[in-house]
Amino acid sequence: MKSFHLIRRSDVTLKQKVLLYILGIVISFVIGGIFLASLGINPIIYYRDMITIGLIGNRYPAKCVEGFLKLFVPLIITSVALSLSFKMRFWNIGGEGEFITGAIFAALVAFKLGPVLPTTAVIPLMGIAAALAAGVIGFITAHLKVKFNTNETLVTLMVNYIMLYVIKYIGETKAEWNFFLRDDSERPVFAKFPESAMMPGIKIGDFTLLASVIIAILITVGVYYYIKTTKHGFEVSVVGDSTNTAKYAGMSVYKITVRTIFISAALIGLAGAFTAASSGTISTDITNNVGWTGVIVAWLSKLSTPAIALVSVLISVLQYGCQVASASYPSIDHNFADLMQGIFLFSILAADFFGNFKIVKTGGKNDA
Amino acid sequence: MKKLLSVLVASVMMCTALLTGCSAGEEASEGGSASGDIMVGAIYINSQNDTAGYTYAHHNGITTAMENLGLSTTDNLKIIDNVAEDDEQVGTAIDQLAGQGCDIIFGISFGYINAFAEAAEEYPDIVFCHATGYLNNDTNFNNYFGRIYQARYLAGIAAGYKSLELGNNNLGYVSAWGTEYAETCSGINAFTLGALSVNPDAVVHVNQISTWGDQELERQAAEVLISTYNCCVVAQHCDSAQPQIVANEQGVFGCGYNSDMAADAPDAHLTAPVWNWDVFYQLAIETAMNGEAADFYTNIGGNYYGGLSEGMVDISPLTDNNAPEAAEAIAIARDLMVSGEWDVFSGTALVFSGEAGSVSVEQVATDLVTNDGEVIVAAGGPSVDDGVIQGSMNYYVAGVIAEA
Repeated sequence: MKSFHLIRRSDVTLKQKVLLYILGIVISFVIGGIFLASLGINPIIYYRDMITIGLIGNRYPAKCVEGFLKLFVPLIITSVALSLSFKMRFWNIGGEGEFITGAIFAALVAFKLGPVLPTTAVIPLMGIAAALAAGVIGFITAHLKVKFNTNETLVTLMVNYIMLYVIKYIGETKAEWNFFLRDDSERPVFAKFPESAMMPGIKIGDFTLLASVIIAILITVGVYYYIKTTKHGFEVSVVGDSTNTAKYAGMSVYKITVRTIFISAALIGLAGAFTAASSGTISTDITNNVGWTGVIVAWLSKLSTPAIALVSVLISVLQYGCQVASASYPSIDHNFADLMQGIFLFSILAADFFGNFKIVKTGGKNDA
Repeated sequence: MKKLLSVLVASVMMCTALLTGCSAGEEASEGGSASGDIMVGAIYINSQNDTAGYTYAHHNGITTAMENLGLSTTDNLKIIDNVAEDDEQVGTAIDQLAGQGCDIIFGISFGYINAFAEAAEEYPDIVFCHATGYLNNDTNFNNYFGRIYQARYLAGIAAGYKSLELGNNNLGYVSAWGTEYAETCSGINAFTLGALSVNPDAVVHVNQISTWGDQELERQAAEVLISTYNCCVVAQHCDSAQPQIVANEQGVFGCGYNSDMAADAPDAHLTAPVWNWDVFYQLAIETAMNGEAADFYTNIGGNYYGGLSEGMVDISPLTDNNAPEAAEAIAIARDLMVSGEWDVFSGTALVFSGEAGSVSVEQVATDLVTNDGEVIVAAGGPSVDDGVIQGSMNYYVAGVIAEA
C-alpha cells in the first residue's frame, strides 16, 4: 500500500509562482471553454466579449466602463478594509451588514438634508454618517471580542442578517414615517435621492469619472501606507501574530483592536454610501454580495494591498464581462457567470496550493 | 518546470491564434445581421432557463412573439437575467443592452421601475416597456400588464359550482401577498366575486405566504387551508404548482395559476388563469419595428392593459373535474367581458342560476363592498378596473376572510 504526503516546498521562486497562477487561469479558461462548446457557443467569442467587458462593437462604450467601475469601487474598498481586520486575525465577515448600514445612513442623510443643502455638503455628510454608523457596528463587535471573548465570526455574521432585515423592513413597509419610499406608489419601492445627493463626477467626453473612483484609489493607497509605514499598522500585525507579544510590548490590545475594526467597518460603510450615491437610491440588494466577494479577494491576494487592487480588477472584469458576454446567448444564464467564477477561484487556489506544497508518494506505514 | 513552461507557452499561443482568427470572421457576420432587423433586449428577475414561473412565462412570451414575427431568438434577442431590483444593477443591465444595440428593452419586474423611467430619458432612441408598473412618458416608455382578474373571475365561477356540488362553502386561496399588492388582492377579489356569482354563501379563506415563491411554504399553506379551514377548492397566486399537488393528494379540488397545472394535479385541477404575454410582446415589437422610438407610446396606444378580449389573459381548458354547469356559465361571463358589456369590479353583479344545459345569468345592481363594509362602487356604478391595474386596490371584498 502506498500513501500520499504533503511536503511544504521552499524552493519555488516568485517567477515560478506567477507561472503557476497563469497556468491555473489558462486551465480554467479551457474548462470553461469545454462547457461553452458543449452548449454550442464559440468560447473564443465569449471570452473575447468577457475580457473586453463588451467594449467591442459597443454603441455606448463610456457607459460600459462606468458600469464596470460601479462594480469595482465597492469591491476594492471592501476588500482593502477587510484585509485590515484580517491582518489582525479578526475574522470580520460582517462586510454585508456594515455595507448596508452605511447605505441606510447615507440614504437617511440624502433624504433629510439633500433637499436643503448643496452637493458639496450633502455628499461628505452622507459619507461621514455612513462611516460612523458602520464604524459603531465594528466597534461593538470588537468590544465584545476583546472584553468578553465572543467569537467575532459569529457576531459579525449575525449582524449581516440583522442589517439585511432592517433594510428589508424599511423597503417593504409602507407607512407615514417611511420617507425612504416613493410617495406615488401603492406598492413599496425605494425613492430616488434628490439631485444634490448624487455622486458628482468629472465629465470626459461621454464618460463620467465619478468622484468615488478617485476616492477608492486614494483609500487603497492610504491603507497600503497605513499598514506598511505607520506605527498603527505595525501594531495591527503584532496583535495579529500574538496578543501576548503585544501586551508584553506594552501595547493596548483593546485600543488597537477597537481602532482597527472601527476603521475597517467605517471604510466598508463608506463603500455603501458611495454605492447609494452613485445609484441614487438604496435597495435590499445594494451590496451585490460585495461583503462576501471581498473576503475572497482579500484572501486570494494574501492580504497584500497591491494584489487586492489587481484581483479586484480581475474579479470585476469576470463579473461584468460574464454578464455582457452571456447576454447574447439565450442558453446561458447568470448561473454560468457564477460557474466561471468558481472555476477560476478553484484553479487559482490549486495553483497556490502547488506553489506551496508538493505531493509525494511514500510506502504506507500506518495503513493498518 | 521546463515541461510546465512549454505547456503554458503552447496553450497561450494556441489561444492567441484562435482569438485573432475568430475575431476576424465574427466581425463580418455581425455586420450582416445588424442591418434592418430589430434587436430585442430583456431584463429578467430569474433565469431564462427556468421551466416554470414568472420569468418563464415572460421568456416564453417574448420568444413566441419573435418567432411569430419571423425574428431569430438567438441573433435578435439579448437577455440579462437574475437582475435584482436594485437601481444600479438594473441601470447597468440597461446600459449593457443599449450598448449591444438593442432597439427595444423589456423589464419584467416591478422594482425595475425607477431605472426604466430614467433610462427612457437617457436613451430617447430606444423603446422601454416595463411590466406591472405605473410610470410612462409620452414618447418611448410605456407600462404593460394584463387584466388577469377577468380570468380569475372565471376560475371563481368554476370553484363556486364545485362548492355547490360538494355542499361545502369553504374555498381556499394560497396567496403570495395580501392587500399590500393590488396584483394579489385584485386576484383574490375577482376569484371571490366569481364564486359568489354562483354560490352566494361561499367564503374564501386567504392564506398569505409573504413571498412570491417558496415551494415548501406554498405546500404548508395549502395543507392548512384544507385541514384547518376545511376548504374544498384551493386556488393560488404563487409560483409553483405545490398547492395543486397538495389538493390532489388530499382529494380536494384546485385552480392553478400562470400555466395549465392539470398535469400536476390530474384529479384536482379545475382550471387555471393563464397569461399569454406573447400578445403584448408581439404588438410591442411590431410597433417598435414600424415606427420611431419617439412615437412608440402614441403608436401602441399608451399603456397596455390587455384582457380577455385581446387574448392577453385566459383560463386553461376546463378539466372533467368540473361541475357540469361550469362551462356554460364561464362562457356566458366570458362573452360579457369580451364584448365589454360588463366588468368584474363594478356596481353590477352577475347571478347564475339553472341546471346544466339551461344556465342563465341575471345582472343585478349591487354595491361592491369591502369585507369591512365600506362601499367602493355603489349599486349600478361603473367599473374601477383601471385602479386595479395601476395598483390602487388595497382592500378585500365581502366574502374574503384573511387567515394568518
